[in-house]
Amino acid sequence: MSSSVWNPDNVRDVAESVGIASLADNVVEELARDVDYRLAQVLEEALKFMRHGKRTTLSTHDISHALKVLNVEPLYGYESTRPLRFGEASLGPGQPLYYVEDEEVDFEKLINAPLPKVPREITFTAHWLAVEGVQPSIPQNPTASNQADLLPKGPNANPHLAAANGLDNYTVKPLVKHVLSKESQELFAKLSSALLDENNQEWQNAALASIQSDPGIHQLTTYLITFISEKVTHSMKNLTVLRAMLLATDRLLANPTIYLDPYIPYMVPPVLTCCLGKHIGPTSHQAPSNASSETLNGNNINGHARHNFEHFDLRKIAASLLQQMCRKYSASNQGLKTRIARSCLKAFLDPNKPLGTHYGALETLRRVLGADGVRIGILPNLKIYDEVLKEALADDSRKEEARRVLATILVCLDDMERSRGAMRANGVANLENQRDRLAEKVGGEVADHIIKSNRTAVAQAILEADLSMA
Amino acid sequence: MLRKESEPAATNGASLGGQSSDQGGTKATKAFELLRKYMDDILDVYKPELRKLLWPVFVYSYLDLVREYFTKDAEAFFAKYRNTFERDHPQDVNTLSAVRLPPHLTTDSLAKLYLDNKYRVTMTLMPFYNLVQFLESKMFEGGQALIDVIRDHLNIVTVDRTATTERSIAAILASGQDEDELPAEDEGIPGHNPGHPLTSRHDPEADASRIRLALGPYPLDQDLQDDVRATLQDEDAKNAPRPGQPSLVDEYEARIKREPTDDVPSRDLIPLPPSLARDVSMEVQKVVEHRDRYRLEGTRTGGVGPGVSVTMYTFHNTYDSINCIDFSGDNKLVAAGMAESYIRVWSMDGSALTSPSENAQPASSRRLVGHSGPIYAVAFSPATVNPDPTGPSTSSQYLLSASEDKSVRLWSLDVWQCLVAYRGHDNPIWDLQWGPYGHYFLTGSNDRTARLWATDHIEPLRIYVGHENDVDCVAFHPNNLYVFTGSCDRTVRMWHTSGGNCLRLFTGHTGNVTSIACSPDGRTLASADDMGNIILWTLETGRRKKRMRGHGKGGIWSLSWSVESTILVSCGADQTVRVWDAIQETNESTSKAADGTAAAKADGALTTKGASGAPVTGAKKNAKESGVTADQISVFQTKESPVYKVQFTRMNLVLAGGAYLPRPTK
Repeated sequence: MSSSVWNPDNVRDVAESVGIASLADNVVEELARDVDYRLAQVLEEALKFMRHGKRTTLSTHDISHALKVLNVEPLYGYESTRPLRFGEASLGPGQPLYYVEDEEVDFEKLINAPLPKVPREITFTAHWLAVEGVQPSIPQNPTASNQADLLPKGPNANPHLAAANGLDNYTVKPLVKHVLSKESQELFAKLSSALLDENNQEWQNAALASIQSDPGIHQLTTYLITFISEKVTHSMKNLTVLRAMLLATDRLLANPTIYLDPYIPYMVPPVLTCCLGKHIGPTSHQAPSNASSETLNGNNINGHARHNFEHFDLRKIAASLLQQMCRKYSASNQGLKTRIARSCLKAFLDPNKPLGTHYGALETLRRVLGADGVRIGILPNLKIYDEVLKEALADDSRKEEARRVLATILVCLDDMERSRGAMRANGVANLENQRDRLAEKVGGEVADHIIKSNRTAVAQAILEADLSMA
Repeated sequence: MLRKESEPAATNGASLGGQSSDQGGTKATKAFELLRKYMDDILDVYKPELRKLLWPVFVYSYLDLVREYFTKDAEAFFAKYRNTFERDHPQDVNTLSAVRLPPHLTTDSLAKLYLDNKYRVTMTLMPFYNLVQFLESKMFEGGQALIDVIRDHLNIVTVDRTATTERSIAAILASGQDEDELPAEDEGIPGHNPGHPLTSRHDPEADASRIRLALGPYPLDQDLQDDVRATLQDEDAKNAPRPGQPSLVDEYEARIKREPTDDVPSRDLIPLPPSLARDVSMEVQKVVEHRDRYRLEGTRTGGVGPGVSVTMYTFHNTYDSINCIDFSGDNKLVAAGMAESYIRVWSMDGSALTSPSENAQPASSRRLVGHSGPIYAVAFSPATVNPDPTGPSTSSQYLLSASEDKSVRLWSLDVWQCLVAYRGHDNPIWDLQWGPYGHYFLTGSNDRTARLWATDHIEPLRIYVGHENDVDCVAFHPNNLYVFTGSCDRTVRMWHTSGGNCLRLFTGHTGNVTSIACSPDGRTLASADDMGNIILWTLETGRRKKRMRGHGKGGIWSLSWSVESTILVSCGADQTVRVWDAIQETNESTSKAADGTAAAKADGALTTKGASGAPVTGAKKNAKESGVTADQISVFQTKESPVYKVQFTRMNLVLAGGAYLPRPTK
């Protein structure tokens, strides 16, 4: 029995194929051993190529390169970009035979088949793998599973390191992996209860002041941000809570000792929710449907009578917060502004969204993008929006809301006009004459309001802005 | 030639009789069994030292059998004992198992390595005498064969137990029980003295202290220094430092005006081209960044290391075709070398990469096509963020790439074209590094050489020859005067850049060296292998500082030091980025120091382990496999993305690059 890995019968077969009819057994064995050795050599060389390709699977390319280095003619025809799949067949008990799975392809079918999809372009994304020694729990990072295996153990291991990674207790896995002193934990508990306390205004103010000025808040930043986003998600109906959360965000932004840049992407969503949410405030808010007013029964209208417009104020606060964030952090957060603007524009252009959402979107766009944004983003869409406005204004239950939206649009346009600098009001005495042209650009309702309030400069700005675009 | 075993059968078996039973495989097996039994019976205190003999005796017995053409006996012998060594020497066992015929001995690099050199083992006097006595008493039961092997192939160096603390009884007790049985740094093949300036083959009598290293920073030329100082003064006048912040000039003085030491290299040895306005700007920016950096020193309270921030750049849709990644020094560009022979450069902020020569729509990424084989290394020329937008550009001007096609190419990042192809290596090139001030670069190749080049010369300036196998990774010393090479012969060498001679040889790795990096202060070298070990070496003495374990198998692709040289980050195929404390002393290093506390601890460990008795070996094995040394500060796992590159910026932020390779669902 030969001990070589290479089957000696194979050597015999090859010998026969080149015309050597009979080979002595010991020669065959010897040759098989030599084949073993040569193969090992090729593999050793090929593994180097795999290693330098920073891969963990050996590919056919590696073998070709190895053969080249060893001055052997490479094998052609085995190029493959992905690891080969091997089929297994049995020749008998304990005698598996491996072969490369090679599908038969129908030529006709292949030619007539549609072209395969173009492979996706190589791209890269960036994220924080660790922020000051702690791995943030974001989707790009793996969930903290068996971290314990990765850390030093034994008597010499540093207990603080384990604690820092949330492993000071092996049986119970804490949710957070960040070492937090007793004092900090206490402070966090106090802060969170104070923020939610509706009845004690003083206490709440104290908490907000602490968030704004305390350097110790740094330790709690992630916890606060999580707390805020949780509360916002769960208390969309409670305006008081939402307002408190927005205020807390505001104070956090104002704290000069915290390095917030890496956290901004996690702070934006709750604020954006407050700004664009469909249902904000008590449930009497109108159902968000494009159903016409006929479907609304009396009850609903009664509800609307009681309905207040506090949520508009909330949206306004949210919008101003977004503006703040954009101003301070868009340098360190790639595409922050564009992302916010895109979500707002999408919300604004969706006629199925309630008017409150439109209001929030407009307000944010105005603040974040400024006059240029209004000209490029809002102005061209006003004509289409006219439909929505008209319908809403005609509907008693939504009239008040529509008025607010309309007012915001006018403020936007005012902004735009102001940014153009001093206007010479020349020869525009008769606005009425331009009504049709205005309506063409911004829709009938808005045009009427411009005329009614005699905003000559605005009208001109609209018309000129349009000219410059044409 | 016929195999030896067949001879007795062919001739008259009876005439050879008794002699044949003591030949070949029987002889070797008998001798080896004798040694094993002796190891089992001997005092525990001697065991760790004597155990080191087993592996070389095994290898040489086997190779002798192969050489004497006892092919079958050799196979049987190898099969019988290979299990004992598979854990500690998996690669050698694998390679040797294919070596079975005498001609292979002359072609296989590993076999040749063993046969051409003597395996060095260091032992204290007592076990050595004990061993000799034993072998003599068993002369006819295999002792003679062992003596032959030891005489022919081993170089046993005896040392006095009291001379070195690391061999004291206390140290042995401390380490003996759960020591991973990795070879000591002074044990192994090339048989050199640790920290020896030359290998023993060149000059056995040479003494490490005879060659003094100049590890100080590279002196900048006087004009450049003056220019930088003047610019910094202007800068200080323009933007006064905030309270508590040193002025830029002070910062610069503190950096430059260290005690005028004698270990500063001379500029004449490694000349650089005359400085340009660009160099002034870069030096200025370096000072600014150094002052404003995130400080990682001195924040070690209660053992918790400083918090390191890591930005991870994950590449998608790569199909495992990215071979290497590099980030430019100004943090503007990232380049990836592909298995498909091209290089792709992206701007990290998505801005367009423009070229004056073409009018096509500028995109945020570019392909550089020119190589005819997979790219194994890319490197941006040194660059900094531009301190003065109106001044000269300080962005990266060139990109170098090394490929399987045996050439290095220099690409211009202004016109996005290949400028030069440097040819000279005979085989694929594995690694490439720019010198710390540009101009020079270093390559390491499959042809077992490393070469030094200058951008303005088409031929290599120096060739560093000495490694027994591929040069897998290369690195510069920060002062330009030395270069380092790591190889899959499991050694790391330090060379004089202009002298071209090998100054230090570091042995102790058990796997292929996959990455090396020298600390910015120029005192310590880190090297990593594909068995998951990182070793720190003190350059001055040439000795091992400590070994850091934690990474899984499969290669540590990149190492990087923090600005203060206190923190090391590493990344690798096990999809983690790990942060290490380069200063803290761990078990291993304390046992070397062998102070009283270590000895006391060892006693405690001994009693507990002794009580558990038999299952020690099993526990030991586990401990080794999942062992993470205590100096690991933190570990950050990625989501199925092997990490190819880590890099500290000059402001102590870590950039990491890797490819997202989800496991196939089926």
